Amino acid sequence: MKRFWITLLILVVMSGLVFAGGQKDSSSSVTAGNEVTTIRIVGKDFSPTEDVNLLFLKKVQAGFETYSGQKVNLELVQVPDGAYAEKLNLMLMGGDIPDLIYFQGGDEAVSKQGLLVDLTEYVAGSKVMQSKLQEFNKQRMANYPYLLWLAPPRARIALVREDWFTEGGGKIPVTVDDYYNLFKTIKSNHPDAFVMTATGSTSRMDFTFDHAFGLTATWIKQGGSFVYKKVSDAEKSKLAFYQKLYAEGLFDKDYVTTKWDTMEDKLYTNKVGMVFGTSGVVCDIYDTKLKDTQGVGLIALPPAKGVGQGYSVSTAKETRGWAISTTSKNPELVFKFLEYMATDEGQLTDRYGIEGVHYTVDNGVYAFTDKKSEWWPRINEVMTYNGPLPALGDLGAESWDFLGKYVVGDPDFPIPSDMAPTWDALTNLYKEYSFKIITGEYSIDKFDDFVKEWYDLGGDKITEYAQGMF
Amino acid sequence: MKGNIKKRIVKDRQMYLLLFPVILFFIIWHYIPMWGARIAFQDVMYIGANKWVGLKHFQLLFSSPVFLKVFINTVIISSMKMFLIFPLPILLAFMLNEVNSHNFRKSVQSVIYLPHFLSWVVIAGLFISLLASPEGVVNQIRIFFHLKPISYMTSTKHIRWVFVFSEVWRSIGWDSILYIAAINSIAPALYEAATIDGATHFQQAVNITLPAIIPTIITVFILNLGFFMNAGFDQVFNMMNDAVINHVDIIDTYVYRVGLMQGNYSLGTSAGLFKGIIGLVLILSTDKLSRKVTGEGVW
Repeated sequence: MKRFWITLLILVVMSGLVFAGGQKDSSSSVTAGNEVTTIRIVGKDFSPTEDVNLLFLKKVQAGFETYSGQKVNLELVQVPDGAYAEKLNLMLMGGDIPDLIYFQGGDEAVSKQGLLVDLTEYVAGSKVMQSKLQEFNKQRMANYPYLLWLAPPRARIALVREDWFTEGGGKIPVTVDDYYNLFKTIKSNHPDAFVMTATGSTSRMDFTFDHAFGLTATWIKQGGSFVYKKVSDAEKSKLAFYQKLYAEGLFDKDYVTTKWDTMEDKLYTNKVGMVFGTSGVVCDIYDTKLKDTQGVGLIALPPAKGVGQGYSVSTAKETRGWAISTTSKNPELVFKFLEYMATDEGQLTDRYGIEGVHYTVDNGVYAFTDKKSEWWPRINEVMTYNGPLPALGDLGAESWDFLGKYVVGDPDFPIPSDMAPTWDALTNLYKEYSFKIITGEYSIDKFDDFVKEWYDLGGDKITEYAQGMF
Repeated sequence: MKGNIKKRIVKDRQMYLLLFPVILFFIIWHYIPMWGARIAFQDVMYIGANKWVGLKHFQLLFSSPVFLKVFINTVIISSMKMFLIFPLPILLAFMLNEVNSHNFRKSVQSVIYLPHFLSWVVIAGLFISLLASPEGVVNQIRIFFHLKPISYMTSTKHIRWVFVFSEVWRSIGWDSILYIAAINSIAPALYEAATIDGATHFQQAVNITLPAIIPTIITVFILNLGFFMNAGFDQVFNMMNDAVINHVDIIDTYVYRVGLMQGNYSLGTSAGLFKGIIGLVLILSTDKLSRKVTGEGVW
């Protein structure tokens, strides 16, 4: 008998282990009850297990109730650990569809099936949104009305160490030649360092140099028709320039294996003097960390001027942003929530964080605490917001000024899913050729072979498709 | 026969009771999900029933201009790992078996097991630093001996060998556990008799140890073949870069980019099914071959 009970006990314990990890059914959506309406929200790095997120939500909820005149319950949905886009889609496929969903890729497959609300009418009828959306946001929404994203475009700004820049003459470079001369001077002053690095590819640097070489959009006019910029004559000139930078030791020899963390490390340990950072708070973070480690800050440099001057920003669609699900029982209220978060009151919470934790208010005077650096906006980052304290440092603010001056719309278009495998192959082909050309393994003449191979591999069909898109 | 099975179940009911959750686990988490593989033949719908599209996703997979290249990369990398790495844990187990000092043997075992617990993110960072050109340790040694530094991580000639070496470093200790256990189960009397007969250590290893663990070796080899098309997503994903992408891009990384990241799960599933079928064919054919040649199989 004793043996039986022991066996049964083990059985129960083992069964517990087998079925551990089972999830509570959370299939309820917006439940417009008599008193409280629940809005379920899913976002990246916005977990309900973190106290700071719950505090934020509590404050936002109170403000939103006043704004909307309705009792609401804001509920965060946990996404399984892993790559967000992948896990989110799996969650949606599993039938758990929150009311408000943050996408960072993978949204097209979802919107094509009618799961996302067309926001055109909501946005058109909202005075708040009309005043907060930037022109490029409006163009994106006109092309793809499912994602709303109030945030600055993610252009990468050239940032150079102030002391190395000053030693090099301290004159802001304008043309590509000016940049080259600055790089040469920095290298001669610091022969053991590289002037700049990048993270795995030249895409960060391209923001500074593309337009100067004539790469003003993803698809550019060449010989009377549209060609993909990576196979254009302008790209060849740009790669020749990068090849020169690499050969003369101006560009990091290990850029292709450099990740974002090692890029920063190289900057803070004098191995490079220049990096390319996302406009806004990221520039401030680099600046602060460099001041902490080397006692010197960074200078933001504008994009080089040549054939053109600017940062290309795709107007095809938002690449990330908030969407309302068509399964939501109260999409008007969910949109109103997005609208509230774009107001000055919503932005104060979203940008500043939690009072007493990330900032303090003493007799109406606001001050950030040391913990402010740990806070980032959870919903929106409205560019035109002017709070009681500047949410950005000088460098971050300057990088946003650059956006205002130099952002140029790029009438790109998404590649259809049946062409995705070909597009992936073409992208990889460019990656390999561009690396070999930049590092000198191939001469620049090989670019012509690349272009031929690119078209033969399926680029001709995509180029043909592109002609009908403009 | 039926009566025998019933009798056996009644007689060993407690054993079967203990086995029950395990069987249930496999049914729920391994067999029922196989039904989900049907989405390889469907367009997945977020709302409503999926649409049957036949072989559309397989056609898309095989028609990709890079599929053949990706398939060949997978076979090359898997073959290098399978045939070059497979004997090493066996050799290690033999070597450890020859160590007389119990403490030394245990210490070595503990140290060589450790890398198995590191994630590929950490290992990739480690190898990128060690193999960096010219400041990495390996290249500093080359420079010391007046040899030209090599950028291993960006060299198409070397990157696959980096995969093999890092895989060996990570898993040789862990993979040797089975063989060490198999060796430990050999009756000591056999060695004592061989020693009395004047057999050397090498002769004992060849004539006693090796034949005794051959069934284990065959079983592990055949089971490993089932995972032949899994060339190591985590490792490749973390170590690949633009310079070598066309030489190391495997089916898993390709499916991750084109399938999963773009929400195209049917394409991902069709690739998974394709890999699974190849694995199944390899297991069954090798098992049959092994039975014919050695009389030993998995089942």
